[in-house]
Amino acid sequence: MQSIELIAPRYGIAWYPWAVQYFFLIALSYASLWLAVPGVIFGRENWKAAGRLALLGAVSTAIVAPITLLADLHQPMRFWHFYAYPNPTSWMALGSFFLPLYVGAVVVLGWLVWRNPMRAHANAGGVQGWLARIVPLGQWETPRWAVVLVGLAAVVFSLGVMIYTGAEVAILKARPLWHTEYLPAMFLITGLIGAAGLVVVLNRFSGLRHPRAGDQMLTVILVSLVLAGLVVAGWLAQGLTMNEGSVAAAIDSVRNNPDWRGLAYWNVVVGVVLFLGAGLMEIFGSLRGTRWILGLLALHVAWMFRWTVLMEVQTVARNSAGFQHYAIDPGSQGILGIVGSFGLWLAVVLIINMFVPWRTALGGRDEAEIPSAVQGEPNYG
Amino acid sequence: MDLARRLFLGQAARITAGAAFVPLASVAEAGINDQPPRRGGDPEKRYAMLIDLRRCIGCQACTVSCHIENQAPLGKFRTIVSQSEVQSTETGGLAQFMLPRLCNHCDNPPCVPVCPVGATFQREDGIVVVDSDRCVGCAYCVQACPYDARFINERTQTADKCTFCAHRLEAGLLPACVESCVGGARIIGDIHDPKSQISRMIDEHYDELKVLKPEKNTSPHVFYLGMDERFATRPAAVPGLWDVRDHEGQELGYEYAEH
Repeated sequence: MQSIELIAPRYGIAWYPWAVQYFFLIALSYASLWLAVPGVIFGRENWKAAGRLALLGAVSTAIVAPITLLADLHQPMRFWHFYAYPNPTSWMALGSFFLPLYVGAVVVLGWLVWRNPMRAHANAGGVQGWLARIVPLGQWETPRWAVVLVGLAAVVFSLGVMIYTGAEVAILKARPLWHTEYLPAMFLITGLIGAAGLVVVLNRFSGLRHPRAGDQMLTVILVSLVLAGLVVAGWLAQGLTMNEGSVAAAIDSVRNNPDWRGLAYWNVVVGVVLFLGAGLMEIFGSLRGTRWILGLLALHVAWMFRWTVLMEVQTVARNSAGFQHYAIDPGSQGILGIVGSFGLWLAVVLIINMFVPWRTALGGRDEAEIPSAVQGEPNYG
Repeated sequence: MDLARRLFLGQAARITAGAAFVPLASVAEAGINDQPPRRGGDPEKRYAMLIDLRRCIGCQACTVSCHIENQAPLGKFRTIVSQSEVQSTETGGLAQFMLPRLCNHCDNPPCVPVCPVGATFQREDGIVVVDSDRCVGCAYCVQACPYDARFINERTQTADKCTFCAHRLEAGLLPACVESCVGGARIIGDIHDPKSQISRMIDEHYDELKVLKPEKNTSPHVFYLGMDERFATRPAAVPGLWDVRDHEGQELGYEYAEH
């Protein structure tokens, strides 16, 4: 039997690039928090530099992520319905409780860690001095137990966020490409790759240029890439012999759609280049000045994975022939939304950088001792 | 389904002793992604539709009347008749295959448990509806439906779908698509009533009835009579309509593109 489809509706996409931005930023946030755990919560001296950078990453992305999530709602002003009419059977409803708890805990953690160095600026003039007097809420020294307690609470909530963001997508039987337990694992691992990349990029463009923090993040990227490879291999191995399911749907898409083919090649090539680059830098120390390029590449891997999973999968038709057409909108439902949310994140980082002496938190050196602090124009790709 | 409801009612009866614990108990009963309790509608009834494909001529009268009745935005459909041209590889003979599509009002609707605010729910009579005053427009249900029966209505900015024309049923009228069907292919009724036309037809043709995507375990309640099994899941077809392009490679004739 051969058949030609004559009449079928064109189904549009229902989740916009805002969803990609949310899944990207929230994964960067929780994974950055984990990278901050040894230095910030457990006070491991070797990890304090990475901890300072990762905490900046975790707080800034945690502030912007819920805004992008709100933007993906078609009725954003009804967000209070999540709390007025919660539906306990929905992963998204559970997430609506995890998310504010997580964001709140991370922001409080940032406040606890940063209020110590802020107090030192209380005598400064202008807005900075005023904020340094107001924001720390008193002259008391932040007790160590408070950082540990709030930090551990944030980690617990971050596990909730990590689980719900993965499960929310993976339970959908209607889209075979999403309906696999390997998807939450990949969200988690690519989140770690992206967070390590973010720390590397912040390390370079904040002028901190801490060599140990950079090396630690390269190791995180390398280990995560190996884990990602294992997860993909496991996913392929369990699905290769099946006629339906997520592997079969992926092979079908790659076989029948040149866009998907291009995307698959690109993702594999970028992953391999990142792996080889990080590996070479571990071996040849002289290349380490260019670590930030790998950081940007790691961020690209984390973002591209989410774009492929969330946007491209929506173009796979469920009931009609061929693929649904999706052209990215230039406005706020598309390119402007993507650029705008990154711009908002950049603004948050710059504002924190302007008013919070985060570099001297956890016993870090004073800014004045770092001559390169003002060099390097921020460019977060 | 009857068993499930009886179990649920049994539990409800047990809980009435300690009415104060009802909300807590219902949370504990409903696991994540389980079906929440049904609400509203007549518990005595179970509406379903039978579509006799032998009578469908693909005239799209149902599509048009639904559009007029329910005011869906242009380019979005609560119901539509998919049409394919089929050629036999052995004889070369051509035929047209029509497949009216609409919400299947499943007994295990995957769109309902995912709704974060309980805006989409199943009534006691089986009809799946959306409370558009409560819907936040997260489109999670649109993703969860394997039948593409849901869409975001850009005028209301909420989820939209076929309701079996519940407002007409309540007024004693037939749904717009059933009313306007030229061949009388669409039959709606209460399958709990053994004397209804749909119950009699289900009894008569029980072994020939098919549902869409049975492997998704959604238990659809739109039954097709005279359907080729190869169309129950996504058919292996060549997309025809959207590939009509002019000499510059531009797609012809799609007026309602939103992008």
